[in-house]
Amino acid sequence: MNLSNLLAIDKKKRTLMWFLVPISVYMVVFFLYPVVYNILIGFTDLKLGRTPVYNGLANYSELLSDDQFLTSLITTMVFVLWAVTVEVIFGLLIAFLLNHENRLMEFIRTFILIPTVFTPLVAGLVWKSLYHPDLGMITYYIRKLGIDIGRGLIVERSLALGAIVVVDIWEWTPLMVIILLAGLKSLPTEPYEAARIDGAGEFPIFFRITLPLLRPTLLVALLIRSLDALKVFDIIWAITGGGPGTSTTVANLRIYEVGINQLRVGYAAALSNVLLIIGVVVGLIFIKYIYKKEG
Amino acid sequence: MGKSKVALFVSVMILVCTTAFAGGEKEMGTETPAAEQALPYEGAVLHFAVMADQFADYTKVLSDEFKKKTGAEVKIDILGYVELMQKITQDYATGSAQYDLANMDIVWTGQFEQEGWTKDLTSWIERDKAEIDYDDILPVLWVMGSWNNRQIGYPLAGYANSLIYRKDLFEDSGEKAAFKSKYGYELLVPDTMDQLGDIAEFFTRPEENMFGLVSNGARGPAVAQDWMEYMRGFGGQVLSPSGEVTVNSKQCVDSLVFFVELFDNWAPPGAIGYWWDDRESSYRTGQSVMQSSWSIARAGYEDETISLVAGKTEMSVTPRVEGQEAGYGVGGWGVAINADSSDENAEIAWEFIKYITSKEAQKEWMRNDGAPIRYSTLNDAELNSEMPWLGKILTVFEEGDGDYRPRVPEYSQIQDILGLRINQAITHELGAKEALDIAAEEIKALY
Repeated sequence: MNLSNLLAIDKKKRTLMWFLVPISVYMVVFFLYPVVYNILIGFTDLKLGRTPVYNGLANYSELLSDDQFLTSLITTMVFVLWAVTVEVIFGLLIAFLLNHENRLMEFIRTFILIPTVFTPLVAGLVWKSLYHPDLGMITYYIRKLGIDIGRGLIVERSLALGAIVVVDIWEWTPLMVIILLAGLKSLPTEPYEAARIDGAGEFPIFFRITLPLLRPTLLVALLIRSLDALKVFDIIWAITGGGPGTSTTVANLRIYEVGINQLRVGYAAALSNVLLIIGVVVGLIFIKYIYKKEG
Repeated sequence: MGKSKVALFVSVMILVCTTAFAGGEKEMGTETPAAEQALPYEGAVLHFAVMADQFADYTKVLSDEFKKKTGAEVKIDILGYVELMQKITQDYATGSAQYDLANMDIVWTGQFEQEGWTKDLTSWIERDKAEIDYDDILPVLWVMGSWNNRQIGYPLAGYANSLIYRKDLFEDSGEKAAFKSKYGYELLVPDTMDQLGDIAEFFTRPEENMFGLVSNGARGPAVAQDWMEYMRGFGGQVLSPSGEVTVNSKQCVDSLVFFVELFDNWAPPGAIGYWWDDRESSYRTGQSVMQSSWSIARAGYEDETISLVAGKTEMSVTPRVEGQEAGYGVGGWGVAINADSSDENAEIAWEFIKYITSKEAQKEWMRNDGAPIRYSTLNDAELNSEMPWLGKILTVFEEGDGDYRPRVPEYSQIQDILGLRINQAITHELGAKEALDIAAEEIKALY
């Protein structure tokens, strides 16, 4: 390769590199900078409008005895576990039902996506009116069926989180359906043909062929939804505001209270850094399983 | 068409457009009448964060009138309670000067003064004392906007905490007879908390979807503020006059026990999740017979488009425990000027405040869901014939206690603490004493 060729390649590379500049700037400004800044102010006593003072690990030591934050972490985990599990199961079932090519299925596939189009805050406000303890339609029909919901779905401590989980399932199951449907459509047909020739029934085919082949897609779907569910805020803020009591106060809501209501930005940053670490750990676990299987 | 012709055509069009529309506003201005050109604040634009209470819409009308008179445009941004507080505190704390004017709940006075977020209006008030007719504005409202001898908030809308009740039911002979046979005394407007409890119990008939007494229960400022009204009726205080934390005193615990009983036995089932608008809806739809509420809502009960209890409502001073001295709950909204506003904008803001709170503006303000601040308004014969309840508001103002919700700089945090702990008590997550003991410890930790 002569020098002119090398220069030509470098020039091409240089041109290609320029195309990366916008996304790189975007990532640095909107992702890297906020994360680094958040980590840094987590070591200060920053209060909005005041000059921050470095306070070492004081915020992290405080959060270890912050019952409200620790309770909110547990509530978040319960929320994630219930919401994501049900969404995956429903998503898988619906994806199977929709995995046929005809006009009806095409229509349903489009129609089913409607809930995901709603802004979570708007969805929350709509569901709040449906759940209204005295005037809500859902409350009315549940009581009509003779089911005891005490004072109401969103004002009873034992029911409020469940009511929120239902809203999350309504909104995000369609996303799972679409991801899993794409996974189902990409599966090879040969193993199915071979199994059927060998006389295998539908259940063994599902558990021994479909599920193992679908596992990477399932893990990706779980990863996306778990990380998203960890960040839940809007629907809870709109429907219950974290109440009754602390029954629906998830971590992000507690962080919001500390940072926005109390203006304790430094401490709120430390709390959100903990949530970030949990998110990263969850993400790494899923990614490890995805690559392990592929390997 | 060749490339050169296209380029020529585009160039000509750009030239024509830029010439025709450049400085269009100024060109149009040359055609305005001389009288409008003489307006003192022509072209000035101010921003006003207004609480989404009943008076918010009429504030826009006053803003339009002010623009016609002075040329200054005051843009109104109507915000809910929590949103308003968050937006203006962030605006003040960051110095972004997004709002020149803002409604301030009187309980924020201490915090705003301590942080230096808003301008001290004292010198302006002194300068224009005669023009604003200082003594015509109720003293309690001046006091509530003041902290450390600095006038932080200018009185805009005074609220009297009152007992709102269904007079048609209270005057019904059948109800009166049934009440007397059950409780042994006449069914009258309750003076004491015991009587309030009896009447609430008497009118609670879930099978008829009728409940005796309703209150806000939603976690946050809604439940905290409503409980503090009952706490005041029981003679309790969050902080003693010397600043000691007394939120877990016997009176406060008794009031919380009463408050829990209210939700357990006399309120609609969903009241635990109620904000102000839910509580008002419950009363206006006839679901609830009594509520402790702010006088700003009073006129709305007579509006048949939003009320099913028009002509059936009366208001009275709130009950208190026997032996407790009168000291009725006073609240409301003031207007504050952002400390970061430019001098020019601040001067215009001050003119705007004087305009919307002037005697001349007050009559129409009252007729359009406003709340009174002046003796002259409350004693106006014409207004009293239209709103016979004004005399009761005056009584509350004259014997008013605006400090039962402590206006200290830490108020927002205290309200946050109470908003959670009281909610935990009414949902039985914590007992009344336990909830207030925890709240007391948390409030002490703020100092």
